[in-house]
Amino acid sequence: MTVRNGATRNRFAAVAATTALVLSLTAGCGSSGGPNSGTIHVLVYGDAANKVEKQIVDTFNKTSKVKAVLDTIPGADYQSKLNTIINTPQAPDIFFNWGGGSIAPFAKKNLLLPLDDMIAKDPGLKSNFLPSVFNTAVIDGKSYGVPMRGTQPVLLFNNKKVLASAGLGVPRTWDDLISDVKVLKAKGLTPIALGGGDQWPALMWFEYVFDRVAGPDLFRKALAGDKSAWAGPDSQKALGMLKQLVDVGAFGSNFDSVKFTDGGSPALMAKGKAAFELMGSWEYSTQQSSNPDFAKNDLGYSAFPTVSGGKGDPKDVVGNTNNFYSVVKKTKHPDAVAAFLKLMYSDEFVKAQLGIGNLPTTTNTAKFLSTSASPDYSQFQFNLVKAAPSFQLSWDQAYPPAAATPIHTAIQKFFDGKTDANGFIQAMQSLSNS
Amino acid sequence: MSPLSLAAVSGRRLKARRAGVGVTRPGFAWAVPATVFFLLFAILPLVLVAVLSFTSWDGITSPHFNGLANWTKLIHDPVMTQSIWLTLVLTVLGVVTQTPISILLGVWAAGPQRNRAVLSAIFFVPLLLSATAVSVLWRALLDPNFGVPGQLPWLFGNGNLLGNQPGSIAVLTFVGMWQFTPLHTLLYQGGARAVPQVLYQAAAIDGAGTVRQFFHVTLPQLRNTMITSMILMVVGGLTTFDTVLILTQGGPGTDTTVSAYYMYVQGFKDFDFGAGSAIALVLVVVATLISLAVVRLSGYDKMRSTAEGI
Repeated sequence: MTVRNGATRNRFAAVAATTALVLSLTAGCGSSGGPNSGTIHVLVYGDAANKVEKQIVDTFNKTSKVKAVLDTIPGADYQSKLNTIINTPQAPDIFFNWGGGSIAPFAKKNLLLPLDDMIAKDPGLKSNFLPSVFNTAVIDGKSYGVPMRGTQPVLLFNNKKVLASAGLGVPRTWDDLISDVKVLKAKGLTPIALGGGDQWPALMWFEYVFDRVAGPDLFRKALAGDKSAWAGPDSQKALGMLKQLVDVGAFGSNFDSVKFTDGGSPALMAKGKAAFELMGSWEYSTQQSSNPDFAKNDLGYSAFPTVSGGKGDPKDVVGNTNNFYSVVKKTKHPDAVAAFLKLMYSDEFVKAQLGIGNLPTTTNTAKFLSTSASPDYSQFQFNLVKAAPSFQLSWDQAYPPAAATPIHTAIQKFFDGKTDANGFIQAMQSLSNS
Repeated sequence: MSPLSLAAVSGRRLKARRAGVGVTRPGFAWAVPATVFFLLFAILPLVLVAVLSFTSWDGITSPHFNGLANWTKLIHDPVMTQSIWLTLVLTVLGVVTQTPISILLGVWAAGPQRNRAVLSAIFFVPLLLSATAVSVLWRALLDPNFGVPGQLPWLFGNGNLLGNQPGSIAVLTFVGMWQFTPLHTLLYQGGARAVPQVLYQAAAIDGAGTVRQFFHVTLPQLRNTMITSMILMVVGGLTTFDTVLILTQGGPGTDTTVSAYYMYVQGFKDFDFGAGSAIALVLVVVATLISLAVVRLSGYDKMRSTAEGI
């Protein structure tokens, strides 16, 4: 079936991988960045936001003797490529990550530099950031990361026109949402767009419903290794609600063939075929680039509905708390690194991030909100994150990377009805948290 | 294996043909560069993978031996068992769907019809696209709401092609067929052109029409081409990866998690390179056994030429 690409390309990949392995083994004795070479390498996720990172590196290099070099790894391969170089001579000095489980394995293997000494010298490295955000990169009481880029809370987006024509308002409670779904379904619409083919968009529903029903403690305990948390009555209740949502047809019947990443589910909402989409705050920039008129006029947004009798605070949010810069222990220029990290709360950084639609989580962000691409939207997000008693990092980022596939498989099977609540609970209990 | 055995065979034939003239066979020195590359880039990595399959390695710290742990884990892993079945099913479906079409197209393309060259060039286009581009393209075309299924609800129902196991297997088979039929068509075109015209002339004298000529002259003469093409299909089918990665991500659930994709997940998503290596080794063994079986059963190893006696 795959001759050219299957056989030849796979073999090419194998050859390339082996060559890389051999080269990295032989390079072990040599060194790519000697003590006097005077550079620090900054490794980041390659995408449109690199524009700001380039600018910050340039600013840093103007005054610093040790020069920063920006390296980018494009696309979704970031985590796996980082993993393969982190303990080699090619390791960067500073690298982008999601905090939580994405760096926990590195921290446990003693590859990362705890930043507490740096913070003691410059308390601003901590005090200039929103505490709930900063704490995502704290592991075993030590700080391993400084926030960079912006926060990405998950919001319930809607198509204002569709809601208005159905005579519906923004749902404030879970019961509102269920009744809205029924009305929209009767009108022949897909009530909620869901990119089930990507798997992770469905996870966002689990994160919010579990938080609203049980509060943040359930997940916190489960992550810490208390597997019984998944089996409790709160967990059962949350799963029951999710099942109800799927069963009333909230997502239609073909969500597994739709993806967010190829523009399928955002188009459903933008073209008026669906009313809602639960998505990270990047939905705005996604719509802005592919459906600019819709983003400008008809894209509505609200916080996740409340659940009556739930233990979670209705102000809680879930999502990607932020991105972080962590530092490799082997770095030869810790002082230059500290000076570089300082820029992450500078006015220049905040303005540049807002300019591309990101929302930095520094305490001075509020001053510059009016300069954002959409001031109302930025203000809404900022208030939401600032007021949130708990900001739950996405489950697949909070757990170590090895848990991501089992989590995604479990949520997809549950939404497809291929596994029941007990099957889901078992799958979550079998995750390894270290 | 094919370069080695071909070299051996041609060496033997050279010797046979030239023995009387007194020319010696080429010295072993000529094979040294190829042998060194083969050892360095094929055998050595294979040995490394075999060693890794007995270790636990996260790709960060150094690997340490854990005996048969990966292997016992694999044997008891239902996803692994399922992945082998899925791989075999996809391979068989690939061979069964691509072979008849490419034979017919190839034989047709070998003929003298008008516009044949132009049409053949168009058929060839899918092969020029990367598997990634092909997968992204079909993913968009099969979008249930904005793609083809949305326009043809009487045929596709709700369009949930990638949301269930039969649907996704059908899509993977179809996309593979769309992409790789051109290559096999090319092989058969070459094969069909090499059939001596005298055979057709003799058949025509005996009163055989086009259909009988196809079944009694063309097909038997294409036997070795067919074996070559099928080995390529089998090896390609067993290593199907890129289309799965982009079209289904092994889903829904684990319904299309084929072995090669499962190996990738174990290694580069779960960071368990030991288990990934074990799967890789299983794939190598299965692929080698199947290739050997095809070669043996078909008599290809004896190199009986279709041109014999002419």
